[in-house]
Amino acid sequence: MKILIATSCVPFIRGGAEILADSLRDALRAAGHEAELAAIPFKHYPPERIPDHMLACRLLDLTETCGVRIDRVIGLKFPAYLIPHPNKVIWLLHQHRTAYELWDHPRAGDLIHYANGPVIREAIHQADRELIPEAKAVYTLSQNVSGRLRRCSGIGSEPLYNPPAHAGLFYNRPAGDYLFFPSRITAVKRQWLAIQALAHCRERVRVRFAGGADSPMQQAECDNAVRELKLGDRVEWLGVVSEEQKRDLYANSLAVIFPPVDEDYGYITLEAMLSSKPVIACSDSGGPLEFIVDRKTGLVASPTPESLAQAMDALWVDRRCAAAMGEAGRARYEDLNISWKNVVEKLLC
Amino acid sequence: MAQNHGLRILIATVRVPFVYGGAEVLAEGLCRALIEAGHRAEIVAIPFKWYPPERILDQMLACRLLDLSETVGVAVDRLIGLKFPAYLIPHPRKVIWMVHQHRQAYDLWQHPLNDLDRYANGADVRAAIQRADTELIAQAQGVFTISRNVALRMNRFCGLHATPLYHPPQMAGLFHTRAAEDFLYFPSRINPLKRQDLVLEALAQTRLPVKVYFSGPADEPAFERTCVALAQKKGCADRVQWLGPVSEEKKRDLYARSLGVLFPPIDEDYGYITLEAMLAHKPVITCTDSGGPLEFVVHHETGIVAEPTAEALAAAMDSLWEDWERARGWGDAGRQRYEDLNIDWNNVVEKLLQ
Repeated sequence: MKILIATSCVPFIRGGAEILADSLRDALRAAGHEAELAAIPFKHYPPERIPDHMLACRLLDLTETCGVRIDRVIGLKFPAYLIPHPNKVIWLLHQHRTAYELWDHPRAGDLIHYANGPVIREAIHQADRELIPEAKAVYTLSQNVSGRLRRCSGIGSEPLYNPPAHAGLFYNRPAGDYLFFPSRITAVKRQWLAIQALAHCRERVRVRFAGGADSPMQQAECDNAVRELKLGDRVEWLGVVSEEQKRDLYANSLAVIFPPVDEDYGYITLEAMLSSKPVIACSDSGGPLEFIVDRKTGLVASPTPESLAQAMDALWVDRRCAAAMGEAGRARYEDLNISWKNVVEKLLC
Repeated sequence: MAQNHGLRILIATVRVPFVYGGAEVLAEGLCRALIEAGHRAEIVAIPFKWYPPERILDQMLACRLLDLSETVGVAVDRLIGLKFPAYLIPHPRKVIWMVHQHRQAYDLWQHPLNDLDRYANGADVRAAIQRADTELIAQAQGVFTISRNVALRMNRFCGLHATPLYHPPQMAGLFHTRAAEDFLYFPSRINPLKRQDLVLEALAQTRLPVKVYFSGPADEPAFERTCVALAQKKGCADRVQWLGPVSEEKKRDLYARSLGVLFPPIDEDYGYITLEAMLAHKPVITCTDSGGPLEFVVHHETGIVAEPTAEALAAAMDSLWEDWERARGWGDAGRQRYEDLNIDWNNVVEKLLQ
């Protein structure tokens, strides 16, 4: 089949969505199809640019190329998934989040601050409600994204999980004496909550953070908190690490801590499971909750420093229990049939 | 130049899905050259479908609606527009390096290979394209073209002035030459505009047992079938080889071993094939209506410029075939001419960012 993956891009920015699109293209090609990306640039401000870009997407024609039919379009990101096609399938990574669950988020909300924000928000809602159902099938990245789509747009969909990059290369080693927190350093991932929790731990729990800061300010905020709480000897900032180092850090950790706010999906949970490590997340963390079975493959805490501290202490004192949970996590990963083969099959059926 | 270091540059082009040709090679080459010059550069490729004609208007509008002025609050310092309609995307610091306009609305209007003029709304759409080009190209801070041919067309049809800016083919440094073997080489996408069919008609009329190797993917499978059938019908199929898509390495090897290169397209914009042949020390046979190649091929010095008829082309092919020594001399002269033209990416980058 000739398959186009329709997605949006922000020039000069490369993140999880871009990696996913590339991986999907590679998986389609490996399955014997011709696959290419059609990446439409997207700029979401000022708000009136959003309807411009929505209209631009509606005006594009991906039905055929040089007289040869394009058999399928797979839409990933807003507004590119609005591009019309008679054989379109949507695999929704997320809707335009600041028009939905992040509308009044204190840090992430942006539309809400503009006079025309409410009108644009309504236009986005209406387009999603009316045009997403044009697709022959709607899949999403996770139950979390499906739940939002049902609640906000009244549209049913099926979650379709994909494996992290290089899933086959993760491994396990005997636990060392640290919890591992691998993630971009930014407010919604809540490194700051983990630091506050450390101050409440009864045990001398140690945390190693890996990942770059979205801005120097975010790193400075974390550093200040560590200084004020006098946790300098229990926290380590590794910065950006290679994929190989990252796998090594997973393998040698006691457990993984990943307490973001309403994550869409979260490869970190899956990477921890592949490394046979238990995961600590929060009850409002979104995606990770689809994978963690509380007290079987990890611990789900309330999003408070006290509750998170309890979970960290619990794994720290009972290392055998932590190891068993990690093994159970690995077994659960195997049971979930998370593979590109499965993704490709579903998207093309 | 100092303030021109480390710019964030976007290259705006269009992409016909699943078609990869010279324009894509050019965009990637430019992107690499900008990065090597110390800038951050990325390609933005808008999908394009030109039929039925009203889709062209839709896509022109789509391009006008896109906003590439900045990303996440940081300015995009320069936009370089390459292909219609992507060069219509607005930007306060836009430079156009025109690969070509929408040729069906210009030089290919009422050409047998055109389809725009066959639609009831074709003339209206053509007028809209011409109006948009005339008004909006002029808004760019600088207008360059990939060849003199493209600049002349733009001047003739839109009254706009542009500077030709030549660039090297991909991996220019890797071309080499070897002793000629008994075939002429026609490396190109199999496409009516490249006129593989004309070459087959000519081949049927050569006096000498000239052989031709074709390589390249078929843009339109139907045309490839037509060509294969034509060779059969004309009785020259045994002197033809269809090599299909070949690797870059294989292509350079075929250039190196050929006696000469055939490249008789219709009004080509630029044509890497001419330059690649020159890099490989091979003479080029082209036609008087081939456009771009004529900026490089010097008749009876670096190749042969023939009338676009089967008879004339057959005579040119015979002429190369009967005197290999002369063919080699023209090939060497072509290589020398390439050196003299100072075709390199540094020059392109410097001019585009001036």
